Amino acid sequence: MSNKGSAYGQAAGDTDFRKKYDLDEYAAKAAAREAAEKEERKARWEAKMAGKKYYKPMDGTETLTTARNATQDFSKMVGTTSLVPAGAGVGKRGRGAGFYCEACDLTFKDNLQWLEHTNSMQHQRNVGATGQVKKATAEEVHARIEALWQRQQELKREQVITLQERLEVRKEEEEKEREEKRRKRKEAEEKKRLEKEAALKAKTDYGEDVRIEGEHDEDDMMAAMGFTGFGTTTKK
Amino acid sequence: MGDRKSNKPEYHRADERRFLDERGSSGPLAPNGLNPATILEKAVRERIVDSYFYKEQCFGVNEADIVDRVVEHVDHIGGVTGTVQKPTPFLCLAFKLLQLAPNDEILEEYLQFGGEKFKYLRALAVFYIRLTRQDKDVYLKLEPFLEDRRKLRRKGRNGVSLTYVDEFVDDLLVKDRVCATSLWKMRRRDVLEDLELLEPRVSPLGSLEDLLEERDEEMKDGEGGGMGGVRVGV
Repeated sequence: MSNKGSAYGQAAGDTDFRKKYDLDEYAAKAAAREAAEKEERKARWEAKMAGKKYYKPMDGTETLTTARNATQDFSKMVGTTSLVPAGAGVGKRGRGAGFYCEACDLTFKDNLQWLEHTNSMQHQRNVGATGQVKKATAEEVHARIEALWQRQQELKREQVITLQERLEVRKEEEEKEREEKRRKRKEAEEKKRLEKEAALKAKTDYGEDVRIEGEHDEDDMMAAMGFTGFGTTTKK
Repeated sequence: MGDRKSNKPEYHRADERRFLDERGSSGPLAPNGLNPATILEKAVRERIVDSYFYKEQCFGVNEADIVDRVVEHVDHIGGVTGTVQKPTPFLCLAFKLLQLAPNDEILEEYLQFGGEKFKYLRALAVFYIRLTRQDKDVYLKLEPFLEDRRKLRRKGRNGVSLTYVDEFVDDLLVKDRVCATSLWKMRRRDVLEDLELLEPRVSPLGSLEDLLEERDEEMKDGEGGGMGGVRVGV
């Protein structure tokens, strides 16, 4: 690169379209990267010499580790299907079949491994936690006990309310059932009444000539047997 | 990372690794001079650290979260259960307490304010005090709860049984093995009384001499003095 001239003695004039690189900028970048790498190498070496495990130094934005606030329900995942890239299933690195950790880009085959991983310092650092927990004071403990007690009492109260509500709902259901029965009975009565009325109407319209199915069977039979009645005069 | 802990005592480590690694060489000792990391037996300790409950629920827990866990997960006391000798949540949390080493103020909250509301919290605190405090303090702190008659469920290797808070406290004071843990040998109460470290205890039933006198008088009135076979329950 010392000789900037062209191989043909004169500069080519048709290469202006090429991107011009700012060589100094890239040199500075490379120097910075190399310095950082050197520093890390040194830190790793020092940690190794001291018999410790190397962790990336913290930059002050880390948060304290806190306790889990819920149990993880792995049974929810039973029967679900997930797409896995071809070639997955070898080793832990990358996304594969199993429990995938976004922060560390690792996949675990069972929940115990997954849990141990989430407890590990490696994971804590990758999610930006320090692995330290704040000590609680007696006042905080007092407040927590009070809060838990209030929550428990509220839950109990809610349960009582729901029991009453359930009783009310049950009552309403029974009422509805009764109403339904009453309605059916009334409907049946109404239907009968209408049929009777229709029959009466037919009689008034056509007199005794009209024969309603089944009504005169008895009379016919008696007539056939030679008598007209059992001594009563009231007509049915 | 170790010096960070000693520089800033307001933090705990989220996991138990350091606690178990130190083995009493550099970590603080319990008030009774024992190393908290070795108070529970090794076999039990290893089962606890291996147990799923411990890994899931005791990671990153501080003194206030302990209350959460007790309320949520502890419905029986006991050591190890079943043929696989699974440690109970009670024992796991006791181990976590050994790591956290709460001070007397916090323990007082567990015992009094929390203990009135949550009996298993009191049971846990009482157990922890028996493991770590000096014998004088153990007697002083535990004896008031000989009047707590709430029921406790105790789960052992051969099933579940019923016990009471006062019975549990009495076991802690008298027995040498409770909840899969050999309790350290305390001096007897009368020894401490002779050394004038403790006042003689007054039973809620009244003093033994008064009871005996009363009984004697009654018997003299009734039968004209038969001294044999006096039974007094204290």
